[in-house]
Amino acid sequence: MTFNDLRVSVAPRLSGVGSVSRIVEEFADANGLAAPQVYAVNLALDELIANAVSYGFAGVADPRIEIALRVDDDRLVLTLTDNAAPFDPTRHAGAADIESPLEERSADNLGLHLVKSVADRVSYEFTAGRNHLTMERDLAVAA
Amino acid sequence: MDIEVAEERSDETLILLPVGRLDSANARSFEALVMERIAGGEQRLVIDFSRLNFISSSGMRVLLIAAKKLQGSSGTLVLCAMKEHIHEVFRISGFDRIIPIKDSREAALVVAG
Repeated sequence: MTFNDLRVSVAPRLSGVGSVSRIVEEFADANGLAAPQVYAVNLALDELIANAVSYGFAGVADPRIEIALRVDDDRLVLTLTDNAAPFDPTRHAGAADIESPLEERSADNLGLHLVKSVADRVSYEFTAGRNHLTMERDLAVAA
Repeated sequence: MDIEVAEERSDETLILLPVGRLDSANARSFEALVMERIAGGEQRLVIDFSRLNFISSSGMRVLLIAAKKLQGSSGTLVLCAMKEHIHEVFRISGFDRIIPIKDSREAALVVAG
């Protein structure tokens, strides 16, 4: 297997995001990915892992998060699999507030807004007791 | 986890330079530092992003809290020297319309002062 297909088990705690970001950076260097692509992947990972760790693992005896990252022709494909409570971000109704003046502004739902904004496609399925979230970015598109 | 933050001063303005990543793992330590400085009387704050490579919504939330706090006491928060990919995230969040962002520290100090 070449290094254009990466799989990592992430520690299911907030400190897991820092170490996975370094692995993503190595993957990016090996595959010649530009800074905006690396940022998009690490941003999505930070937001999604933080969501799972903060809200998803109550009552889960053996929390697990796995990520897969691959370069597939002209796409970068990130998949995050976890055994947190079922949560479909593509159907998540809460909209981020990106309009209000400062005194009324809330940061609620901002993380998912960012994930959807930096992705060209996001898809979700819940199978075999696990959340599977896939985010794709077209490499040909200028960031 | 703590974030490394350099601190510099220009007259009445305190300049904070967070280093590396401001993410969900260390945003709370950054929040504690910023709120401690504001509680200690700092009213003019510049956050210089020149040494910051990454920010997520956890870090942006801290900036929002600080900006609200300072607005409430007629203080100012100005951001500067962002890398383009970070600036883009501030645009898609609409944060560029509620917190001033300047290209250079010199320009930020003019606004803050």
